[in-house]
Amino acid sequence: MEHEDIGQAVVRLDAVKKYYMVGEFVVKAVDGVSLAIAQGEFTAIMGPSGSGKSTMMNLIGCLDVPTGGTIYIDGEATSGMDEEELAYLRNRKVGFVFQQFNLLGKLTALENVMTPLLYRGMPSGERKERAASALERVGLRDRMLHRPNELSGGQKQRVAIARALVTGPSLLLADEPTGALDSSTGLQIMEEFENLNNDGLTVVLVTHDQSLGMRCRRQIRVRDGHLEGGGEDVL
Amino acid sequence: MFFEDIKLAVSSLLANKLRTLLSLLGMMIGVAAVVTILTLGDSASSSITASIASGGLDTVTVFPTTGEATTEEFTEQFGVTLQNEISGLATVLPINRSTALVRHEHESGTYTVMGVPSTYAETNNYDVAVGSFFSSLDNMNRQQVIVLGADVAADLFPDGNAVGQVVSLYRNKAKSYTVVGVMDAKDAGYTASYDSSVFIPYNTYVQRFSKPRVVSQYLVKIADGYDTLQVSDDISAYLDSIVGSDGYTVFSPATLAEMAEEITGTFSSFLAAIAAISLLVGGIGIMNIMLVSVAERTREIGVRKALGASPQVIRGQFLTEAFTLTLLGGLVGIALGTVLSVIVTNVVGWSLDISYTGYAVALGFSMAIGIFFGWYPAMKASRLNPIDALNWE
Repeated sequence: MEHEDIGQAVVRLDAVKKYYMVGEFVVKAVDGVSLAIAQGEFTAIMGPSGSGKSTMMNLIGCLDVPTGGTIYIDGEATSGMDEEELAYLRNRKVGFVFQQFNLLGKLTALENVMTPLLYRGMPSGERKERAASALERVGLRDRMLHRPNELSGGQKQRVAIARALVTGPSLLLADEPTGALDSSTGLQIMEEFENLNNDGLTVVLVTHDQSLGMRCRRQIRVRDGHLEGGGEDVL
Repeated sequence: MFFEDIKLAVSSLLANKLRTLLSLLGMMIGVAAVVTILTLGDSASSSITASIASGGLDTVTVFPTTGEATTEEFTEQFGVTLQNEISGLATVLPINRSTALVRHEHESGTYTVMGVPSTYAETNNYDVAVGSFFSSLDNMNRQQVIVLGADVAADLFPDGNAVGQVVSLYRNKAKSYTVVGVMDAKDAGYTASYDSSVFIPYNTYVQRFSKPRVVSQYLVKIADGYDTLQVSDDISAYLDSIVGSDGYTVFSPATLAEMAEEITGTFSSFLAAIAAISLLVGGIGIMNIMLVSVAERTREIGVRKALGASPQVIRGQFLTEAFTLTLLGGLVGIALGTVLSVIVTNVVGWSLDISYTGYAVALGFSMAIGIFFGWYPAMKASRLNPIDALNWE
């Protein structure tokens, strides 16, 4: 079809809605959003807080299920999947990077990166090997056996990136990944994403930061649960 | 995966050592109590059985009733009749007993005098210390020979060397008996106080010492391959038909041993059941601590879910943790219970009889508790919404 030239859509949202009940009121966090993110894109989902961008990220990452509409990951509809199937999908297709790093404090950097592979039932030796090479890729070869509390903020976020990469996901989802970092470290992390995207990885960055968003090749703006721009042009 | 879960469980338990210990305390005490009670029950039971069995588990003693209900049936010859009527009797020894004053020079005392056949010592597994038991020839010839129980010998012959000496037995008038043997010490059984008795040939007893109307008791030895309890029942049935149930009493150590075993068994099972209640209480403590652990690690659960852990995997992780916790409690409890049992049996003087049933029950019970009380917290963890869990502060 018309977007075949930019490759298959890694993510496609088709009239997706997410409504919450808060007390007696219905909150329409995401209200009829359609968009597609193609293989190899570097996309920013931007919007002020409360705009529904985090809910959108959760839906794309299969952490949440929509109230209406359909989400496709790598062409596969996620509607009707149960928790086991969604977990399987997250493990294979999506790599998460969070604002607060979300590393497991008792584990070393290497063990943290090994964790997603554990849920595939991969043998320990192979897990270790893959995790080590992922950490090497983000420049933390000599920090592998350190625990999170022995690492700087930038290093923690690199461990998180390595953990997201290690499974070879179709999509890297980053939620305000520089939000907890000082600006120069933030820029380094941003460069890391740019490098990964140059290597062909599809990256979706959720941010309220204009300057960060503008560094991405494509911007999708969200306000009050609707797309303000950037969503339709690839559909 | 299971191995990883165990590693994870151990590291999470080690991260909160004091909490782990405290939450396990109830469990450990419960297991220790169960193990101790069952082990002490077994030890007591086997000690009691051993003391009963010292009378010979393959023997049955028939006591003719004395007094008004006495019948003339119980003669020396009746032993032979009994042996002919009932199958499974190796020997039937008639025994007469009474008490008498026994004197040697200036030492004297009142002891049980037993008129017994020459095979008495062998039948009772009763060993000679010095000299020998009298022979069948002594019995046949109504020799005035005597064998002394260990205490009697010690009383009358403080310097030792009793064999070959002469003692006087008083029954109306004094008669002299030559000591031919001194017996080893033997714990008193239910049919004889061996150490404070003296033994003379059966025929000597009835001819020269005292002519009783009836035999005092018949010592019956059960033949190999026969069940003591069964034969004892047969004897009772036969005697019922001859003299009626008032005319005799049958005593068999095997019956008593079985009874004692039953009583201690029932009693210790009862106590163990009470102790098991403390295991249940311990299990609730485990559930409590597991709920705390799940709540504390909500964010971790969210992260693991985001990384692709399925509900089943999360449930497995926490179930393994609860299981590991209670297994640890079970093992420590067993160790504690064993130490306690060793101490108590040593103090009381029983022989230690480790109750492996107790080990198995305690361990099985504690693992079951881990699974049972770990299930709810693990389910709760597995059902957490990933987003809520990730945003949990």
